[in-house]
Amino acid sequence: MLDYFPENVSSVGIEHDELFALIYYICVGIFVLVNVVLLVFLIKYRRKKGVRAYHFHGDNLVEFVWTLLPTVLFAGLGFYSDDLWTRMKYQDKVPQADVEIDVMGQQFLWHIRYPGPDGVFGDKIPAEMSSSNPFGIDPKDPNGKDDLVVQNTFNLPINKMIVVHLSSVDVLHSFFLPNFRIKNDAVPGLWIDVWFDCFKAGKYELACAELCGSGHYAMRGVVNMQSEEDYNTWLQGKYDAVTASLQPENSTAEVASPAAESTEAAEEEIVVEESVTEEEAAH
Amino acid sequence: MEAVVTSPVEEHGHGHEHDHEHHESFIRKYIFSTDHKTIAKQFLGSALFFLFVGGAMALILRWQLAYPGEALPLIGSMLSDRFVSDGVVQPGFFMQMTTMHASVMIFLVIIPLAVGFFGNLCIPLMIGTDDMAFPTLNMFSFWLVPPAAFFLMIGFFHESGAAAAGWTHYPPLSVIGGFGHYMWTIGVFFVGFSSILGAVNYIATVLNKRAPGMKMFDMPLTVWALFITAILAALGTPVLAADLAILFFDQFFHSSFFIPEGWVVADYPNNGGGQPILFQHLFWFYSHPAVYIMLLPVMGVASDVLATFSRKPVYGYKAMVFAIMAIAFLGFIVWGHHMFQSGMNPLLGTTFMLSTIVIAVPSAIKTFNWLGTLWRGSITFSVPMLHALAFVATFVVGGLSGIFMAAAPADVFIHDTYFIVAHIHYVLFGGSLFGIFAGIQYWYPKLFGRRQNETWGQIHFWLTFIFFNLTFFPMHLLGIGGHMRRISDPNVYDFLKPFAGMNEFITICAIILGFAQLILVVNMLMSFKLGKKASRNPWRANSLEWAAPSPPVGHGNFDKPLRSYRGPYEFSLPGKKRDYLPQWKKPAKSESAEESAKQAAGGNGQAAGGGGH
Ligand code: HEM
Ligand SMILES: [Cu+2]
Ligand SMILES: [Cu+2]
Repeated sequence: MLDYFPENVSSVGIEHDELFALIYYICVGIFVLVNVVLLVFLIKYRRKKGVRAYHFHGDNLVEFVWTLLPTVLFAGLGFYSDDLWTRMKYQDKVPQADVEIDVMGQQFLWHIRYPGPDGVFGDKIPAEMSSSNPFGIDPKDPNGKDDLVVQNTFNLPINKMIVVHLSSVDVLHSFFLPNFRIKNDAVPGLWIDVWFDCFKAGKYELACAELCGSGHYAMRGVVNMQSEEDYNTWLQGKYDAVTASLQPENSTAEVASPAAESTEAAEEEIVVEESVTEEEAAH
Repeated sequence: MEAVVTSPVEEHGHGHEHDHEHHESFIRKYIFSTDHKTIAKQFLGSALFFLFVGGAMALILRWQLAYPGEALPLIGSMLSDRFVSDGVVQPGFFMQMTTMHASVMIFLVIIPLAVGFFGNLCIPLMIGTDDMAFPTLNMFSFWLVPPAAFFLMIGFFHESGAAAAGWTHYPPLSVIGGFGHYMWTIGVFFVGFSSILGAVNYIATVLNKRAPGMKMFDMPLTVWALFITAILAALGTPVLAADLAILFFDQFFHSSFFIPEGWVVADYPNNGGGQPILFQHLFWFYSHPAVYIMLLPVMGVASDVLATFSRKPVYGYKAMVFAIMAIAFLGFIVWGHHMFQSGMNPLLGTTFMLSTIVIAVPSAIKTFNWLGTLWRGSITFSVPMLHALAFVATFVVGGLSGIFMAAAPADVFIHDTYFIVAHIHYVLFGGSLFGIFAGIQYWYPKLFGRRQNETWGQIHFWLTFIFFNLTFFPMHLLGIGGHMRRISDPNVYDFLKPFAGMNEFITICAIILGFAQLILVVNMLMSFKLGKKASRNPWRANSLEWAAPSPPVGHGNFDKPLRSYRGPYEFSLPGKKRDYLPQWKKPAKSESAEESAKQAAGGNGQAAGGGGH
């Protein structure tokens, strides 16, 4: 059963899979025990001529024992699991980030924001959020001018701690990376930190795991985990384009800021929902 | 129909006036009836009808998952092109089907059967009284179901379709969803209203109308379970009502309780300042207890059926009662386990993980006691017994899969995948529905005065049991593979492509499972006329309902005055000719002296650790 898991590529995933396996073996043990006892009783105590059932109302000591045993077992499991839980999710235990990105869910695509050539994210202001500016980047903040926003497909380096700030512009979505054993809802109005690393380069699928409307099934992204050099090359290419578009001689710079450009493309995708799905299905 | 002269209730001093005509009009007798047996039949009839409606929706879902992009057979060409194009299920329609399948099954099938049907059928008969404490209220609690169904379904007839935000109806999606979603809110409100009316009635009835001599700890476990369930419903449902009321304000008046500032949705005037997660807290504060509302009654039913067909007292009667109470109490402090990945503060995740893991303990206790009941019994495999045994076996699977999800870090991956779907179905189909089938089979002779055909009953059982497991067990594997819930086309994802074969297999099994349920209904309908006449006590059981004629006499139930002398599980007493001793049987002189001596010697005969028997 356990080998149905998709391949794991993150270090937290290793711990997750170990915990899952532990629970699995405990539960299979209990399942076999209970059902074997059940079957044995059904065969052994089936009605036979001349044999009367044993009139017996129960025994307090037995009750006590079989209350205590599962309590100890399950409570132990709970306390044992808690350590991993705190390291997976506690918002005051976010590790030191090597790479930080913002991820925003929108019916039915993912926006990913990189800080841009200056390495600093522009401020986010909820009141500024609009379909051309899903992150609500403050137009007055100079740091925000060069922020890079891409949709659905994005790259990240391996062997680095990646911290994702997650939110949504409309309804609930859920950021699910099956190969990383990562899942967290993207909630409008909340910024939630999610973090992971990766020890194997490759392209991994990002799924939406929370019902978000009729296009939910096709809200698919792909994260391309690359070696640090490859990643830097990719990022530099993107950043060069951003810098070029911000040059003063480019008179339309204001309108065609990279964020706006990419969301326009995104909007097209939303409007023609059918085509999104076909495109996605073709992947 | 004869008025009952010496109903035990009148004797008891709680009688209601028999001022109605001997010949009630057809409408009063069969439609707006206040007789609990008729109301039980109405709940049964409507729920079985909706079982097929919900089942058909499930098969539409399964077809799409197994054969995405292929036209629905038979009905594809009949459906409006708002739902299908060229017979192929559209993504929006798929979402409506997941939402409505679950809503129908939970709100119009399992809750009405577990609470409405069993509550009405069992409580008055098993505590030996003529009717509920408030018969008219009881009638209303049933007649709120049709408007509930109307509002839930009406969206199908609107161009924007039925509700499609999942049975959990999370905002903001449910707020912006349109007409069907608004109506859904109203429909569930009606269901809740019905539950509250039923609940207060059950509580009052159990507390006030027990037959003379019946102590609380002489009540059958079915009655205990229904009683505690009623308390759960009475405490939990108002919170759901509040939640729906707030949602309603957001939907109709744009009050933005659940909508935050900074939100990009066209056509919704957003006032901001709200919090979507608040809805989930209130929703699960009701809906976790609600899963026990759907389960506790059938746990009681299964206990009674297991005892009767192993001819043994329920093992640890008192422990069973305390376990029910513990589940009910803990049920109110575990709701957050549905929200581990919701963005709720993970510190709460730790708390809810620990409370949730503890709630598995009373379930384990109950399972062990069921096994204890079988131990050294004399087991007959009648149809009700087979269903009760299937209940125990499959409930174990559902309980154990719950452990995976209760461990918050393990839940990260399987949350919102088919693992959850497998869990739900092992507890609600394998648990609740098998328990309900056990109860239907067990009390059919009492309610309708006829026996069902045993062979067809067995065939129905085996088909259901086998294809239930073949349908739902593989879903655990899909879940471990990462297959998300509520997606209409898994082939979009590369990592899900290898599961196409499994999806197809599940669908084929589901179709057989669905059609097998026709056997149940046909057997029930045929037996109305063709079944052998049932005697008063066909299963040689002990609780008071078996003292009544089959079917029980009109308004009043019992044809003789009734008194309870002992607990409901005195099977196979040594030294007795018969292997059961009903509650209503007057003790012989010497016996009663013996009994009272025993009682004086400490504890009543029902103590879990009586041992002295
Ligand atoms: C041993 C006892 C149980 C435990 C530890 C347990 C635990 C859980 C957990 C942690 C979840 C949330 C999983 C997730 O969404 O990630 C869940 C979901 C669910 N459980 Fe249980 N459960 C138990 C018994 C039951 C029973 C007896 C029922 C019903 C009769 C039930 C019905 C459900 C349903 C319907 C859901 C899914 C709700 C949804 O998201 O649509 N569970 N359970
Ligand atoms: Cu989604
Ligand atoms: Cu729950």
